[in-house]
Order: sequence, then C-alpha cells, then structure tokens
Amino acid sequence: MNKLYLWGIIIAIAMLGATYVTVGYQKGGLNGDIVNMLAVAGAVALVIITIFVVIKYVRQMQVDQASGELADESWDNIGEYKNELPMGWALMFLGTMVWGMWYFLAGYPVNAYSQIGEYNEDVAAHDAKFEKEYASITGSRLVEMGESVYLVECVACHGLNADGNNEVDAADLNARVSEKTVKYVVNHGSNNKLLGTEMPMPDRNGLFNAETGALITDKEIDEVAAFVAGGLKDTNSAGAKVFAGVCSSCHGPDGKGMEYVAPDIATWSQPLIVNVLNNGKVGTIGKMPAMDRLNSKQKEAVAAYVISLTQGE
Amino acid sequence: MFHWLEKHPFFFAVGVFVVIAFAGLIEIVPNFAQASRPVIGTTPYSTLEIAGRQAYIKNSCNACHSQLIRPFKSETDRYGHYSLSGEYAYDRPFLWGSKRTGPDLHRVGNYRTTEWHENHMKDPQAIVPTSIMPGYPWMFTTNADIDTAYAEQLTAAQFFGVPYNKPVPMKDGSTTVVKLGNSIAEAHAMALEEAKAVVANMKDQDVKDAVARGEIPEIVALIAYLNRLK
Amino acid sequence: MENRPLEYDYTVAKMFMLTTIVLGIVGMTIGVFIAFELAFPGLNTILGSGLAEYTNFSRLRPLHTDSVAFGFTVSGIFATWFYVGQRVLKVSMAESKFLMFVGKLQFWLYVIGVAAAVVTLFMGYTTSKEYAEFEWPIDIAIVIVWVLWGVSIFGLIGIRREKSLYISIWYYIATFLGVAMLYLFNNMEVPTMLATSPAGETNIGDWLHSISMYAGTNDALVQWWYGHNAVAFVFTVPIVAMIYYFLPKESGQAIYSYKLSLLSFWGLMFVYLWAGGHHLLFSTVPDWMQTMGSVFSVVLILPSWGSAINMLLTMKGEWQQVAASPLIKFMILASTFYMFSTLEGPIQAIKSVNAIAHFTDWIVGHVHDGTLGWVGFMIIAALYHMAPRVFKRELYSKSLMAAQFWIQTLGIVLYFTSMWIAGITQGMMWRAHDEFGNLAYSFIDTVDVLHPYYALRGTGGLLYLVGFFMFAYNIYKTMTAGRRVEESELQNASPMGA
Ligand code: HEC
Ligand code: HEC
Ligand code: HEC
Ligand code: HEM
Ligand code: HEM
Ligand SMILES: [Ca+2]
Ligand SMILES: [Ca+2]
Ligand SMILES: [Cu+2]
Repeated sequence: MNKLYLWGIIIAIAMLGATYVTVGYQKGGLNGDIVNMLAVAGAVALVIITIFVVIKYVRQMQVDQASGELADESWDNIGEYKNELPMGWALMFLGTMVWGMWYFLAGYPVNAYSQIGEYNEDVAAHDAKFEKEYASITGSRLVEMGESVYLVECVACHGLNADGNNEVDAADLNARVSEKTVKYVVNHGSNNKLLGTEMPMPDRNGLFNAETGALITDKEIDEVAAFVAGGLKDTNSAGAKVFAGVCSSCHGPDGKGMEYVAPDIATWSQPLIVNVLNNGKVGTIGKMPAMDRLNSKQKEAVAAYVISLTQGE
Repeated sequence: MFHWLEKHPFFFAVGVFVVIAFAGLIEIVPNFAQASRPVIGTTPYSTLEIAGRQAYIKNSCNACHSQLIRPFKSETDRYGHYSLSGEYAYDRPFLWGSKRTGPDLHRVGNYRTTEWHENHMKDPQAIVPTSIMPGYPWMFTTNADIDTAYAEQLTAAQFFGVPYNKPVPMKDGSTTVVKLGNSIAEAHAMALEEAKAVVANMKDQDVKDAVARGEIPEIVALIAYLNRLK
Repeated sequence: MENRPLEYDYTVAKMFMLTTIVLGIVGMTIGVFIAFELAFPGLNTILGSGLAEYTNFSRLRPLHTDSVAFGFTVSGIFATWFYVGQRVLKVSMAESKFLMFVGKLQFWLYVIGVAAAVVTLFMGYTTSKEYAEFEWPIDIAIVIVWVLWGVSIFGLIGIRREKSLYISIWYYIATFLGVAMLYLFNNMEVPTMLATSPAGETNIGDWLHSISMYAGTNDALVQWWYGHNAVAFVFTVPIVAMIYYFLPKESGQAIYSYKLSLLSFWGLMFVYLWAGGHHLLFSTVPDWMQTMGSVFSVVLILPSWGSAINMLLTMKGEWQQVAASPLIKFMILASTFYMFSTLEGPIQAIKSVNAIAHFTDWIVGHVHDGTLGWVGFMIIAALYHMAPRVFKRELYSKSLMAAQFWIQTLGIVLYFTSMWIAGITQGMMWRAHDEFGNLAYSFIDTVDVLHPYYALRGTGGLLYLVGFFMFAYNIYKTMTAGRRVEESELQNASPMGA
C-alpha cells in the first residue's frame, strides 16, 4: 500500500480516537440524541472524505502524466486541455441534482414539513417520558432534582452557594430572612402574594403591640428583627416578647405561620417558595422575577432544595 | 453557445447576471409579499427603548448574543417560548445574531431585572465570576443620544408606517398606544419620564443624579430596552 | 511587436498589494487579539478602563471581520485583477491613460473609504448587519469604488487583444456583478435625518445614522441572502479566479479540462444564490425556504469541488514541483482547504446538524478553515507569484517561505480543530437534559468548558499571524534587496533565493 494511504488511515484513526475521547469524556456527550450523533458523524465523515479524495488526486500527481488534446487558445501561455469531465464528479453532480428535485417535488414538497409541528411532538414526548417517570419522586430525589434546577435557573442571582451573591443582589437562601428584610417588611408592609393571594401585611402603622397597647416602636422593630432573623431561637430576648405581642397573632406563636393569614417566617416552606416563583417578589433587596418557564414539578423540586439548605444544620 | 459567450463579454455578463439574480427573485420576493405582520402584543419601541437599542447596536452586543429562540425543547426550557416572526415587525435592523458566545436575549426581560443588569453591565464577573463578557462601565457616564432615537422613531413612522400614537392590540384584548413626541423637546421629556422609572430601581448614585439633572446615561436606555425584551 | 512581450503596467497592482499586506496585518492582529480576549477577558481593558470602549471584544469584532474581508481580501482581489487582467487579455494599462486614471482613482477612494470605515467602526457606528456594518456614506463610497472597478474591468476587456475570455476573467466579472447586486440590496437604508418632526424640526440627531428598509424576518432574509453570497463573491469566486491563473502559470501546466471549468463555473453561479437559507435554519422564515437552503447547499458541493479537482488534476504528474516549491504548496493546500470547507458547509447546512452547529464555534471553525486555508493561502501565493514580476526581482527567501507555510498550516489546524471541539461540545451541552428532564447545564457551564479551546485557537491564530509577518517581510525584502531578474527568467516558476 502506498505511504500516503497509510497516512490517510492514520489520520482517520486519530480523528476517530479524538472524537471518541471528546464525546465520551467531555461534558455534554451524545445522550442518545440523534442530532448529536449526526453532528459528530458529519464531522468525522468530513475529515475522512476530504483526506481520501485528496489523496486520490495526489497519487495522480505522483504517478500519472498530464495528457489530452490541447485547445488552440492560450492565455498568457496558459493552455487548456479538452479532457472529458471526471466521471465520478459528473455522476455525483447529476445525482445531487436529481436528489434535490426529488426532495422538492416528491420527498418534502413545499408544505410537507413544519418545524413547529416537530417541536410540539418533541415536547410532548419529553413531557410524557419525564412526567411518568418522576410523577411520584419525593424526598432526597426531589431535592436532587431541585438542585439541578437551581444550578441552571437560580445561580445567576442567588449564587452558587445560594448566599445571594454577597447579599447585594438577591436573598440569601441559607437563612429564612435577613434582619434587613424584616425591618423593611415591618416598616413598609408586604404585598407579594407570598400566600398565593393578595393578602397584605400592614406597615408599622397597622402593627399594634398587644402588650404595650401602642404602635410598634423603632426599638421594638430592631429587637424583633434580630429575633426573627436569628431563626426565632432566642426565646428569652426582648425581640421574642415583641414578637409575641405584635406578630404572633398572624404568624403564630412559633412563627410557623397560619394558613390564609400569614406565611411561615421561621423556616422555608414549600408553598411560600412556590408562590415566590409564581409571582416574583419585590422587597428591600431587590426584585425577584416570576419564573414562569418552570413547570410545577420543577417549582416543587427547587422549593424542596431551598428548604434542604437550612435543614442541614 | 458558451464559446460564443466567452467571446462576447456583454452577453456573458448578462448571462451571469440572469443566472445569479434568479434565485433572489424566487426566494425573497414571496416573503415580502406577505410582509411580516406584528403579532398581538408587539408594540413599537418607545424613545428610550430605541435609544437603548441603539446602544446595543453601537456596542455590537449582537456579536455575542442572539435574539432568536429556536423551536427546540432545550431552548424553550432555557429562554422561553420560541420566537415568532411577527415579534420582529418593528425591528430595523433585525438582531438575531449568528453566534452565542453569551446566552440568547430575546426574552431576557422575563427573568432578569433592572438591578441585575445594572450590576452585570458594570462588571459581569462580579455577578457571574467566570463570565467572559466585557464590562461596559462607560455606559454609566456617556449619555444616550435621544435626538437620534427620536429621529429613528420619526423615520419609522413616516417611511414605514409604524403605528405610533395609534392603538395596538394587546394579548388581554385591550389596546396600548405608544406615544411619539411632537418635538425634540417633548421626546426628551417623555424619555426622561421613562428613565426615571428605570432609575428608581438602580443603585448607582451618579446615574441617579444624572437623571435628576435631566440627563439620560446610556445604561438607563439599555436597561429599558433589555427589560422590554419579553 | 507580437514577438516581444508587452510591457504591462503594474502601478495599480502594486498599490493594492501594499494595502493587501497592511490590512491583512491589521485585520489578523485584531483577530488574534479578540481571540485571546475570549480566553482571557482581562484583555478587554488592556489599555485601561478608560479606553475599554475601544479595546473590548464587541467593538473590535466587526473591525476584524471587515478589515480581513473588505481590506485584506478585497485588496487582494483588486491587486490580482490589475495584474491578471492585463496579462490574460493581452493589453497593458499603459495603453490607456483613462484606465490608468480610473485605476488610481479607485485606489485612492478605496483608501479613503477604508480610513472612514475604520474610524466609524471604532466610534461605534455600525448597522449591526454582519459584513454590511458600514453606515450609508461609506456604502456610497464603496459603490463608487465598485463602479470604478467595473469601468476598469470592462474598459480593459473593451481594448483586449485576446478575443476569448480566460476562465479567471469569468470569475472576476461574476465577482463584480454579484457583489454589486448583493451590496446594493442589502444596504437599502433610510438616513434618519430625513425625517421631520410634527413640530417641523428637521435634520434631527446624528446624520450618519440610518435604519434598514426591511424589518424583522424580511431584513434577516435579505441579510443572509447577502451574507451567504458575500462569502460566495468575496471569499470564493474571486479566489477561484486567482487559482485558475496562478497555479497553471506558476507550474507551467495546462488546465486539466475546459468542460470541467465550464460546468463548475455555471453550476456555481446558479446554485450558490439559493443556499443562503442555511443561515436561517429553525428561524422564523418559512420552512420551505429553509429546506431550499439545505438542499441547494448539498448540491453546491459538486460545482465547488469541480474547480478544486480541476486544479489538482492540472498538477497531474507534477509531484516534484509540489515537493520543491513552497509557492505551489500554498496553492495545493488552498484547494484542499477549499474542498474541506465546501464539504463542511453543506454538512453544517443539514438541518439536524445545524441544530447543533448554529450559534457555536463550529461555525467559526468553518469560517476560518475557509478563510485562512483557502482565501489567505491563495492571496499569499498570488502575491508571491506577482512580486518578482512586478518588482523585477528574485523572491528574497525560499526557506523563509517554506517555514511560513508550515507555521501557518499548523496555525490553521490548531484553529479549526479547537473550534470544532469547542463548538460541538457547547452545542451538545446546550441541548443536554439530565436524568430529571431538566436542562443539565447553565449557560455559564458551557462557557467555562471553552477556555482551553479559546486559548488554543488564539495560539493557532498567533502562528498564522507570525507567518503573515514573515510573508510581509519576505515581500519587503524582495522589493528592496532581492536579486534583479530578467524578463526571460520569468516564464513559469517564480525565481527564489535560498
Ligand atoms: C395582620 C397580620 C400580620 C401581622 C400582625 C404581621 N404579619 Fe408579617 N406577614 C403577614 C402577611 C399576610 C405576610 C405575607 C405578605 C405578602 O404576601 O407579601 C407577611 C410577611 C412577613 C414577612 C415576609 C417574609 C418574606 O419572605 O419576605 C416577614 C419577615 C414578616 N411578615 C415578619 C413579621 C413580623 C416581624 C411581624 C411583627 C412585628 C409581623 N410580620 C406581623 C401578616 C402579618
Ligand atoms: C434576576 C434575579 C433572580 C433570579 C433569576 C432568581 N431570584 Fe430569587 N430572588 C431575587 C431577589 C433580588 C430576591 C430578594 C427579594 C427581596 O426580598 O428583596 C429573591 C428572593 C428569593 C427568595 C426569598 C423569598 C422570600 O420571601 O424571602 C426565594 C425563596 C428565591 N428568591 C428563590 C429563587 C429560586 C428558587 C430561583 C430559581 C428558580 C430564583 N430565586 C431565581 C432574585 C432572583
Ligand atoms: C465577549 C462576548 C460578550 C459580549 C460582547 C457581550 N456579552 Fe453579554 N454575555 C456574555 C456571556 C459569556 C454571558 C453569560 C455569562 C454572564 O452572565 O455574564 C453574557 C450574559 C449576558 C446577559 C445575561 C443573560 C442571561 O440570561 O443571564 C445579558 C443581559 C447580557 N449579557 C447583555 C449584554 C449586552 C447588553 C451587551 C453589549 C453591550 C453584551 N452582553 C455584550 C458574553 C458577552
Ligand atoms: C459549499 C459551500 C459552502 C456551504 C454550503 C456553506 C455553508 C455554511 C453554513 C451552513 C454556515 C453556517 C450558518 C449558521 O448556522 O450560522 C456557514 C457559515 C459561514 N461560512 Fe460557509 N459554506 C460554504 C463554503 C464556505 C467558504 C468556502 C467560506 C469561506 C472561505 C465560507 C465562509 C463562511 C462564513 C464567513 C460563515 C459565517 C457566516 C456568519 O457570520 O454567520 N463558507 N457556511
Ligand atoms: C490571524 C488569524 C485570525 C484569527 C486569530 C481570527 C480570529 C477570529 C475571532 C476570534 C473571531 C470571532 C469569533 C467569535 O465571535 O467567536 C473571528 C471571526 C471572523 N473572522 Fe477571523 N481570525 C483570523 C483571520 C481571519 C481571516 C484571514 C479572515 C478572512 C479572510 C477572517 C474572517 C473572519 C470572519 C468572516 C469572521 C466572522 C465569523 C462569524 O461571524 O461566524 N479571519 N476571527
Ligand atoms: Ca457571524
Ligand atoms: Ca450599510
Ligand atoms: Cu452560507
């Protein structure tokens, strides 16, 4: 065998090897996706076809001789043979033209294909597969699924560690609420559909301390904020007293909330997070957009993940 | 015949021209006949949004960002509903892009916010540590060119019949009117009103001060534009 | 008279050779810089944050594409035209004062146009349409330059001695007509200063600014009808014109087959224009147009390969020349890369493959195996062939040329292999869903994996640029220090120093 062909084969094998390594050990991978397979096959075919076709002609440079009848004309001493068309080339040209015409007239005539139709089928198939498979996933699997959603959808704002990007831009999800938020909410009230309804929380002009019989004071706000942000743990603190006097009527004595009245502010709760994802939230930290493109399973899962963040400790 | 053509350059050139012009006639003209009509809910750009769009173009954001969501599950999961022809009815030029060094932005207004853009445009790595997007800090100090934005709106209205000051149908059955200023001064005033709404959610004190003085930094216009991409 | 060779006048050719080299250096240096910016984003502020507006990736990218396409390549087209045209038509520019004047005028207007384009792009004036970024006054300058070139072409043809047109001339004519048609239609824009406000104010805003005549999907359609065929009529057709002259001339061989030339030419002309739809696959243009783009792209393989095969067969039996001459190596590898990218393009035009390839670096890889391997190598070869003949001196160094060839070849291989892996990896990651049916990767994950490939691509580009500097140096030394040569030494192979 000629040395050139040997080289061609070596390069082709190297190409296949490199492809195998890239596809196999890189992120991504074929995933049984026909589109991926075609792309990789295309890349491999491209290299191999080009190499062997060119080798064929290089061989002719090495062993063949120029021949044929020269045309009469010459331009700046460049002559021209009257050779016939290379047969393989001519046949393939004809072949592709026939194929092209077939494609339009018989294969896929003008309106035979709809990319949106194809999309709808793909989506339906995807949904059917995963809905069935994961309809009942719960517990740690649900948290895992939630983490996968979190890493794609939420990191951009809440950061990889879910600490809210240094707390400049988004809420720190490793704690239920920050002191800043509590103060803000008590001062300004809140109306973010955290309960899924329009139910608002009044601002400080609507917050009476049952113990003192007066509106909540600046000092009390500071105290209660520290208490709530601390996870309502320090039950002997001044804040705890304020909480019992002002907040517990709605949020419950333990801060775990009451259905239809006020949300859980002691721990993360599934419905609260889902409500935030459905409606977004505008608070003192900033604006959290509604995450409309997640489906309900994904919302449930990511909520489970967020809840898991504070349960580890 | 070909030998003859090769000796008669004029006819040769005519022949080439006919052969190359043919395809354009068949492929392009039919689409123009059914000129893309806006889908319901698509409104003409406001003055500030156009100024932002011009800033987007000036800085070739389209070199890295597409605005075309293809109908694949993986894209609609990531970016939202696939793009529709009529959504681009007021886009001159179109900004589909051809390379996604960064993510698609056609619906970025749905899942990013003013504050986020403010931080991100100033210093992308502060928000996304491994981002390779350049920062655009000068947009916070250069003012948007509202005159040119206004001229562009006028051109769109006068030459292409873009429906400013006319009710356009919205998805919920209502109508919206996008106003076009009667004069440069009015266009400025309207843009400033819009800018104030954007700036209310921003932190940068210099930008806030500038708007308070009646100036409109490019970043404000750009964010108004990004927020409208939905 | 007929026995003595004509005294051709290469004044204009020389001028455009200069801009080919200078703009090649400018464009490729920017290319290398922006390539490294993607690998090391800190470079965006290399001149400090004050100047970042002018050194960041997005402002520079159109400067790269436009200076290599409209600077380097178009200069190369003009330079070779003003050389090849005279010789195959057997008529000297010196015979017509008028054509000489038109040629020089074209050059100086071109230089002014380039300067205006560079300045405005730096300032951020762009219409955003790829390869048609220039604002309307520059469009007008370009149209004038183009018309002047047309006058040159048809003027020279009008006074030719060679009755029948050589193949290269077919391709130059097609370049002229094709670009004229495409450029005009895609640059239909309305300057916004033409509008009047209801209050009667006129001349509002920036006079340079314009908006496209077409909106949305229609605009996209015209743009990619243009964009694809700009590739055809700037990066393909005129380069084919070059190889049809320079390869047989340098090797002293006759063209393998007239019939093959003929069918490839008319086939290319007819098929190319239909294929633009492959830039709009899965977009909002009607499905049938997209299909048309895909199908014609596949058909396009054959007329493209026809020319390349014709060139390879022209070298039948001449391996010793390929082995001995780096100049011929450039051209043989150029036609190989031409075949490579014209098979790659159609593969990427298949809808299922484009679903991955579009928007990724695989396209950038395709672009550069075409432009670096085919366009770049062919223009370099053409200038190497022309240099001894226009300067009447031996080429300065053959070994330098050989070294350049290998360095640049390695550069190209690094460039496209890294971009293939980057593109296909990224494309697959974008599509991937995990076991839960959710997206497997966030966008930034898909950016992070590209870092090594971006660094590798930058290195490949740097090698190519180094080679280009070697080329510039070799030509410069040829001009100034090469051994003088006689007319008789200039029949075929270019005389070269060691
Ligand atoms: C009248 C009932 C009521 C009282 C009293 C009340 N809250 Fe609330 N609280 C609510 C409601 C309702 C919401 C949910 C509002 C919404 O949807 O935005 C809420 C929300 C909150 C939130 C926001 C949670 C989040 O995730 O942003 C915090 C923090 C909070 N309350 C703390 C307090 C504290 C501290 C007090 C006492 C000082 C208090 N609340 C008193 C009804 C009340
Ligand atoms: C564009 C930025 C952004 C994105 C994307 C984002 N968030 Fe947020 N998120 C915020 C901001 C800002 C806040 C703080 C709002 C406030 O309280 O001021 C927030 C707050 C929250 C809260 C706290 C709500 C409360 O009542 O305290 C939860 C829970 C949350 N986000 C979950 C998520 C999840 C889960 C995702 C992804 C699926 C997500 N976020 C995506 C910006 C974002
Ligand atoms: C060199 C390429 C590059 C350029 C130029 C660039 N970007 Fe980006 N952009 C990125 C990358 C990479 C990301 C993803 C990482 C991140 O969020 O920073 C991104 C992300 C974004 C996002 C967030 C989108 C999302 O879904 O998270 C926005 C908005 C954005 N860019 C706007 C712009 C604007 C506006 C410009 C021009 C003024 C611009 N970009 C220029 C590369 C670029
Ligand atoms: C048979 C011939 C060819 C076909 C069918 C073809 C096809 C394609 C396809 C499908 C794309 C990608 C579109 C996308 O998804 O974004 C593309 C892009 C491109 N090709 Fe080719 N190609 C061919 C030859 C060439 C050659 C020879 C060159 C240059 C020397 C070239 C230069 C380019 C360029 C510059 C782009 C990028 C366009 C952009 O900015 O998006 N092509 N081509
Ligand atoms: C020194 C060698 C070169 C290097 C390092 C280089 C680098 C680059 C880079 C980094 C990009 C941007 C890719 C992206 O957006 O991700 C690019 C785009 C491009 N370059 Fe080059 N380039 C080089 C030479 C050339 C030459 C010689 C040509 C043409 C003759 C060329 C034509 C193009 C084109 C047409 C594009 C746009 C591609 C697209 O939009 O898909 N480049 N180049
Ligand atoms: Ca491109
Ligand atoms: Ca233009
Ligand atoms: Cu193309």
